[in-house]
Amino acid sequence: MIRAPAVRTSLGFVAVALFFLPFADLEISAVEPWTELGRLLLGLLTPDPTVLDSVAMALVRTVAFAFVGVALGAAGGFVLALGFRHWPVRTGCAFVRAIHELFWALIFLQCFGLHPLTGVLAIAIPYAGVFAKVYSEILDEADPQPERTLPAGTGVLARFLFARVPDAWPHIASYTAYRLECGLRSSAVLGFVGMPTLGFHLESAFSQGLYSEVGMLLLTFYVLVATLRLWARPRLLPFYLLAAPFLLGSGLPIVWGNVSRFFTQDIVPAPLQDGEGWAAFAMWLGDILASEALPGVIATVILTQIALVVTGALALAAFPLVSRHFTGRISRTVGHGILVVARTTPEYLLAYILLQLWGPSMLPAVIALAIHNAGIIGHLIGRRSNEIQLRSDAPAGVERYGYEILPRVYGPFLALLFYRWEIIMRETAILGILGITTLGFYVDSAMEAIRFDVAFILILVTAVLNIGVDALARWLRRRLQLRTTPGAQS
Amino acid sequence: MTVLSLAGARASYGGERALGPIDLSVAAGERVALVGRSGAGKSTLLKLLHDPARRDIAIMPQELGLVDSLSVFHNVYMGRLNRHTVWYNLANLVRPMKTEQAAVRAVLEPLGMAERIRSRAGELSGGQRQRVAVGRCLYQDADILLADEPVSALDGPRANGVMQALTAAYGTAVLALHDIELALRYSDRVVGLNDGHIVLDEPSDRLTEGDLAPLYAEPMEPGRATG
Amino acid sequence: MNLRREIIDGPGLMVAVLAAALLAVFASPVAAQETLVFTAIPDQDETKLRERFDRVAEYLEAELDRDVRYVPVKSYSAAVSAFRNNQVQLAWFGGLSGVRAREAVPGSRALAQGEEDARFRTYFIAHHSTGLEPADELPAGIEGLTFTFGSKGSTSGRLMPEFHIRQRFDAPPNEVFRRVGFSGNHTRTIALVESGTYQVGALNYKVWEAQKEAGKIDTDAVKVIYRTPPYADYQWTVRGDVDERFGDGFTERVQQALLDMDDPELLASFPRKGFIPADNDDYETIRETARQLDLIGR
Repeated sequence: MIRAPAVRTSLGFVAVALFFLPFADLEISAVEPWTELGRLLLGLLTPDPTVLDSVAMALVRTVAFAFVGVALGAAGGFVLALGFRHWPVRTGCAFVRAIHELFWALIFLQCFGLHPLTGVLAIAIPYAGVFAKVYSEILDEADPQPERTLPAGTGVLARFLFARVPDAWPHIASYTAYRLECGLRSSAVLGFVGMPTLGFHLESAFSQGLYSEVGMLLLTFYVLVATLRLWARPRLLPFYLLAAPFLLGSGLPIVWGNVSRFFTQDIVPAPLQDGEGWAAFAMWLGDILASEALPGVIATVILTQIALVVTGALALAAFPLVSRHFTGRISRTVGHGILVVARTTPEYLLAYILLQLWGPSMLPAVIALAIHNAGIIGHLIGRRSNEIQLRSDAPAGVERYGYEILPRVYGPFLALLFYRWEIIMRETAILGILGITTLGFYVDSAMEAIRFDVAFILILVTAVLNIGVDALARWLRRRLQLRTTPGAQS
Repeated sequence: MTVLSLAGARASYGGERALGPIDLSVAAGERVALVGRSGAGKSTLLKLLHDPARRDIAIMPQELGLVDSLSVFHNVYMGRLNRHTVWYNLANLVRPMKTEQAAVRAVLEPLGMAERIRSRAGELSGGQRQRVAVGRCLYQDADILLADEPVSALDGPRANGVMQALTAAYGTAVLALHDIELALRYSDRVVGLNDGHIVLDEPSDRLTEGDLAPLYAEPMEPGRATG
Repeated sequence: MNLRREIIDGPGLMVAVLAAALLAVFASPVAAQETLVFTAIPDQDETKLRERFDRVAEYLEAELDRDVRYVPVKSYSAAVSAFRNNQVQLAWFGGLSGVRAREAVPGSRALAQGEEDARFRTYFIAHHSTGLEPADELPAGIEGLTFTFGSKGSTSGRLMPEFHIRQRFDAPPNEVFRRVGFSGNHTRTIALVESGTYQVGALNYKVWEAQKEAGKIDTDAVKVIYRTPPYADYQWTVRGDVDERFGDGFTERVQQALLDMDDPELLASFPRKGFIPADNDDYETIRETARQLDLIGR
């Protein structure tokens, strides 16, 4: 079994993570976390319903930003998917989706300020990149037969809309619906940088230690996500989509001069702007790369690789919670609840809570990323395991896990894990804002110091790193012949 | 006048010879039935005859080529996508126009499918799907028809009705048919295939069912793989 | 997601998506231009900031006889950006953020500072388990411990403590301490050191004293170990183009309104005894220090 390529690759990843372990700062340094933690747990267990009045609007905004952002992203992604075979489109899409929503938000905050457009574009742009890729995969997998029967001379567009889109549509719709859930999460998280969504209130409540308020806000958010399928009925979608743009709030007026200034001044490297020439620019760039990008990349890679392996282990342990082969109806409902909480709680908050518990190191980040991502992978693998029909005399318990289920879900599991690889790396960005010295930390510092040129270079480095990991993951998926079904991705 | 012709055509799948070399030409106004056991090369020959760039050919593959998530109306309407502007087609995709609906209904009527015009192709039975594909070919109203087992999923009377409709609309056609009786009744010429070669090519009125029977017997050259 | 079964289904939805997309771009409402908008750096509890500045907005509205609106932001840099982008015209900045804002917007002016802001201080605080005692200089014993600043853009929580650490140990903070973090704001710095998550922290002395007075600090767990020499900190800064926009003499009227603020409750919420005039030169030392530490200038 050790010789199976999938197993060997997995062991390779474990080996890499173990190799990185000594370089990772995983110390537990908190001395007396118990008072604060006690308050936190008590708060989470006693949600304060009076908050609801004041956050009702934030809830509406969260949904509105998600709808508008995802709708724009889907429309843009669909158009881009048509040109996906051309490499500039492919590269452009890979680039925009390699940059985390929060970074997009920070960039647009400089252009548009606290205007709804900032939040909408921060979701729409990276989502368009993802949609373009997945839509084009789905369209490529559509039944080619109908197209061949079309009469010669049929126009390209008619050919596409009649023979290709209808067959792909159910998959496109279900993937888009899934992304809507992600959009809600992104929308909420954008509150951390000032958009008027749930995250705005979550961050304030959290930083003020109003844990009952945090508890209520989280609960509201869980309910919102868990009931998505109940309230986002296909019939109601047009209504939501038409109403959403009007529910974004007004923010502050855009000063268009800022937009051009952003591109012509803010992100132009300082030495070039001051006319110091290319030699000075090279020095400047070298300095940034050596003193910020390099340590940032190292920390990001170490954190990502360790978090990836822990995510995998946790997901393999977690999926039986929602698998009918291991649980009864009631315990499965509980399992679903656990996984919803795991994947819906923003990593940022998880890391923050764990930071209180263990003190500042990479450990809270690793575990936060692992819990969040294992929640997602565990859910998808659990669902897949439910499709497996076992013979009636199949073994039970650990034997069933080891002999019957695990071998059959291991391929999809690895495919999903590789798919999340790049996502985990992107998510380390948010944790940088919490002070864990990933690339995100340096980007945040540069933004904080109003050095957008530096921030811009670092974001480019981040994007290149993510694109690299994405390519590596794709190569591994191909080499191991792991098929992913688009609907189950992300 | 020859409208379709192959000279020394061959086909292979995965390095294995499936068909040919074959010479075949079809004249205008000629209806050819391709007969032979399954795997003899009928479908492959039909594919070779089809030139996707020619506007005068309608095809009906064995897999039918229906878009399951579209309605019967749309699947039939698709036969004439090349006759309208893209905007007109788009409008009909979103909301079928009355005139187009009437025209499609008229095609579906003799096939017994008129009342299913709003159903999605994916929810139909095999025989119904086959009739929708036939409807598309009829609606396309091209000069030449290439059809692969167009009535294989239909029962006797229904199959005859559909064959009548097809042959009435298409004077020039190549039809792959495993049913000998139908082949003789609805063609002027029969081409028999065995193991990728033409082993028989005669006018229909000179043949009896008995003449064709050997084509469906055990392989003539035992041991040879049937494509 | 189940699709509707009608034939218009998919394409109809796509048209709706596109329509909404267009609307989202073109329907964004525009706020009235004549409102004076101001913000403040989020240096402590947001609820408190909101209470305080909503009242300031009311006060200014009455004094200036025009609509005034307070907009909360999530970071120091967001406050500076909003000011630079002319989305806010007035702001309550810290020393460093004020210098950054005025560098970014030529012509902008520091108008007023709190009486205490002329002589502001940073307190270094330590968890009781470190055994550190108050001293007249930064205790050598903090070397090798874990340390948290406040926000990255804070004067009292970042700039000045870093300056004193470098002076005392002749090394950057990440070499002096085993681990360096940024708590985000002063209130959080207290909480993190109190719980021992970090052993040492540095913060705005006013926040420390206000929290202590309110009984919100467990003084057995955390205490002040060093008080820095005084420096200039918080100030109100206004954009240079407000006269153009709101009428001649507007800058002076705003300044006067700020200096006239005498509602004890309002002042207590800052907390400041009162406001005194300030100008850009008062912050020259801060600017120099920030330059030395490479925290400004590009």
